[in-house]
Amino acid sequence: MKILVAVKQVAALDEDFVIGADGRDVDAEFLIRDLNEWDDFSLEEAVRIKEAAADPVEVVVVSIGPEEADEVLRKCLAKGADRAVRIWDEAVAGSDPIAIARILAAVARQEAPDMLLAGVQSSDHGFASTGIATAGFLGWPHGAVVASLAYTSGEKSAVFRRELEGGLLHQVTIQCPAVLTIQAGINTPRYASLRSIKQAAAKPIDVRNLADVGISAHEVGEQGSLSHVRRMYIPDKGHAQLIEGSAAEQAKRLAGIIRAFKGEA
Amino acid sequence: MARDPKHDVLFQPIKIGPKTLRNRFYQVPHCIGAGSDRPGFQAAHRSIKAEGGWAGINTEYCSIHPESDDTHRLSARIWDEGDVRNLRAMTDYIHKYNSLAGVELWYGGSHAPCMESRATPRGPSQYASEFETLTYCKEMDFDDIAMVQQYYVDAALRSRDAGFDIVYVYGAHSYLPLQFLSPYYNKRKDKYGGSLENRARFWLETLEQVRRAVGHDCAIATRFAVDTLYGDAGVEVENDGIKFVGLADSLVDLWDVDVGDIAEWGEDAGPSRFYQQGHQVPWTRFIKQVSKKPVLGVGRFTDPEKMTEIVTKGIADIIGAARPSISDPWLPKKIEEGRYDDIRVCIGCNVCISRWEIGGPPMICTQNATAGEEYRRGWHPEKFPKKTSDDSILVVGAGPSGSECARVLMERGYTVHLYDTAAKIGGHLNQVTTLPGLGEWSYHRDYRELQIAKLVKKNKQSQVMLGQKPMTADDALAYGAEKIVIATGSSWNSDGTNCLSHDPLPGADASRADQLTPEQVMDGKKPIGKRVMILNADTYFMAPSLAEKLAMAGHEVTLVTGVHLANYMHFTLEYPNMMRRLHELHIKEIHNAFASSIEPGRAQIYDVFGDGSKRIFKGVGKIPRTPNASHRWMEFDSLVLVTGRHSNDSLHRELKARNGEWHKNGVRDVYLIGDAEAPRLIADATFTGQRLAREIEESKAQFPLPYRREVAVWGTSHMPGAEFDLEYKI
Ligand SMILES: Cc1cc2nc3c(=O)[nH]c(=O)nc-3n(C[C@H](O)[C@H](O)[C@H](O)COP(=O)(O)O)c2cc1C
Repeated sequence: MKILVAVKQVAALDEDFVIGADGRDVDAEFLIRDLNEWDDFSLEEAVRIKEAAADPVEVVVVSIGPEEADEVLRKCLAKGADRAVRIWDEAVAGSDPIAIARILAAVARQEAPDMLLAGVQSSDHGFASTGIATAGFLGWPHGAVVASLAYTSGEKSAVFRRELEGGLLHQVTIQCPAVLTIQAGINTPRYASLRSIKQAAAKPIDVRNLADVGISAHEVGEQGSLSHVRRMYIPDKGHAQLIEGSAAEQAKRLAGIIRAFKGEA
Repeated sequence: MARDPKHDVLFQPIKIGPKTLRNRFYQVPHCIGAGSDRPGFQAAHRSIKAEGGWAGINTEYCSIHPESDDTHRLSARIWDEGDVRNLRAMTDYIHKYNSLAGVELWYGGSHAPCMESRATPRGPSQYASEFETLTYCKEMDFDDIAMVQQYYVDAALRSRDAGFDIVYVYGAHSYLPLQFLSPYYNKRKDKYGGSLENRARFWLETLEQVRRAVGHDCAIATRFAVDTLYGDAGVEVENDGIKFVGLADSLVDLWDVDVGDIAEWGEDAGPSRFYQQGHQVPWTRFIKQVSKKPVLGVGRFTDPEKMTEIVTKGIADIIGAARPSISDPWLPKKIEEGRYDDIRVCIGCNVCISRWEIGGPPMICTQNATAGEEYRRGWHPEKFPKKTSDDSILVVGAGPSGSECARVLMERGYTVHLYDTAAKIGGHLNQVTTLPGLGEWSYHRDYRELQIAKLVKKNKQSQVMLGQKPMTADDALAYGAEKIVIATGSSWNSDGTNCLSHDPLPGADASRADQLTPEQVMDGKKPIGKRVMILNADTYFMAPSLAEKLAMAGHEVTLVTGVHLANYMHFTLEYPNMMRRLHELHIKEIHNAFASSIEPGRAQIYDVFGDGSKRIFKGVGKIPRTPNASHRWMEFDSLVLVTGRHSNDSLHRELKARNGEWHKNGVRDVYLIGDAEAPRLIADATFTGQRLAREIEESKAQFPLPYRREVAVWGTSHMPGAEFDLEYKI
């Protein structure tokens, strides 16, 4: 039994930041990297399935990213993943979620898990499509925004619930292998102890390149992407103005502004 | 983040007489317990503020002559060359950062008990101090007046020699110049009494003489309580207040104004329980309307928005601060750099003041554990020594001591896991801050919460683990930390154990429906009946705070107290208004009484001094006094037990007992800090966290390293060149 958990090292903005020279992303120097919030929940879900299983279950985390992404893989190892795989190649830079999904699907074919879990979305770019697109490439069934999951390792199917509008729940049975995107809040992720952090630091990370997973360079990066970021920018802010003076003066001024706004003045 | 341009006004220099303040941040005179006798402490505490951006920094009140001796409390003194030498350290270090050093020349009149010098204080009229016990002053004749004015002049000259840039004539807090000005003290019928002009004469002449002596070299400041807050019995701002400013304006280079007197100086240094930032403005705002000179005011200013408003609205030119500068010596620098959320905001608990009120042990601060430790322990509030090992540290308990310890360890670069069962950092503060008036105390938690959140981002190996199950010794040993810090806090006793009997109280049991611990009251889950009895054996705020909370909620509250109710609140200056609150809320107080036993719905109360006054030896098994026969039953619907606290130290005890298992688990040492070691003030709990974090590499880090002591040294004399050896005049 094997569960593959796709994780991403996301970026958060530091207090101050500037947009990089190409105008398409924040200058990397101003980014704080961490494990995507949603992935913490999908990893926890996988580890719980493993802990509840009668037979051995292997939880494998996979991330597509440069060497610095090892940090989040080690975090996952510390929290209970058995093995970590990282795919990287310079050609991968600039990939959109579709190109990333293509790589993930290739890894999934190699690893042949019984279940693939991903986060609903990433906290930095928020496309919410990587997991679903991976299912598309694999031709596996998928469930999106999973808020509770009943799955016993070895079973041919899983039952999950999705939260719909108006307090409705969608209860779905799905054939395995399947791809599920996990919603934040499905569980309470555990913390890693110092002991497991230290142990994880010593574990190897299985680094593979595109050739290792059987993907060619033109299928990824800008070339292999279906969407392209053109510009990242901070929109001009509206102007606020503090109205000062006595209550009567303030009221008069405000009335004037409203009249001007309505075109009466 | 860049600073908001709106705050630029706070960084404009301003001229005061012959000197220039480089910005608008000014540390008004405040005691620290250093005076002139601990020059290292004095120099380090004040100059760290100069480094942190304060443009003007003062001594505490500084006595000009042995006739103004405040022993048992601790003032600075500039009596002689010995004092000049010691104070020079402060001015030299302040000048390194281009800030100005000020000295607050002080003569106390009968408020100075002269317990060391045994001199006789002089005053405008003879009166008994309403502040000090058993001191009267001698009424001055004209010779006396001339003499005392010369004391000011001589002290001003010595101040200049010591390197001071600003010389004060101190007339706030009901000290001598104000005693002349205020009809509350001044009953004279000669040219120094009666009309305002006459009452002002002493102060004006003194300013004139001091100005003539040092005014070319130093800025002349005066500190003036513009309203003593008791109507026309004293000084009222709209009357004598502004008129005096008009009379003296040409003689001063800087007005430092506040309100109140000395007996209730909590009206000036207003605790957050009763007063918010800017609380003095309704009185002090009048001064700028009549003065042409720079004016500074105080009022626990911590917020740059409020400070900017004070300056731009013309309420004052300069932001004076005592407590905010203690809580965050780098407040101006943080504003300057736009690091607003790094400001360690003063919580207004007045524990700093408590030390002076107690008699002058080194000042402490609840927020800033390094206050008072700058010189003797070498602690800088904003700079930390780098870690010297790769040990990782588990801190169990995220209350005041645990969170402080974790913060400082993280600042030092250690990997730290901070663990708590609660969902929030803060420990018992999360409950205490729900009590009436104590909301601002949560800045203590907020500061640590935010700093730790920032530090965890810098070191991904560190983490904050909240809402966890209680940690067991097994968990802690297996956790993988080389060092384990136990900071599990304390709890109120549920069995009535107290400082009077040192035993549980028969019948006391907070698991019963009609009895509660303070935690249960604050938690708000347990029903509380109409008639509440609070049984108190604690000397700080818990009993009166709970009484206030319950009375506000409509309960009929009776306080039965076996110890001096709220005694520590005298020292924090919260006492007078706390008592007014109890009175307003019709809370019944039974003093010097405690319970001997409790039954459902009633407690047996006795008078603490109800036994016989005569002590007679009666042999074994017999108490040497007539037995206490004052016992009577008192009914209640709910009983609150504010009888004492105990450390939650079971995890530490178990870990100590299993020290044989430390080595194989990689654990090098286990420590106990904060209330878990011994219940104490939040300031002291916070200190233990900071202290351990700075000394954790020491082989016995549980126990503090010795600190540098500043004491008189045999073999040298205080006065340069004088004899030190025994000498008798025979
Ligand atoms: C610990 C402490 C000691 C003080 N000692 C003095 C003093 O020696 N002379 C004085 O004029 N005011 C003294 N004060 C009063 C302050 O100067 C100031 O007027 C008061 O604290 C209000 O300012 P704040 O709200 O900024 O604290 C002291 C205040 C504190 C907190």
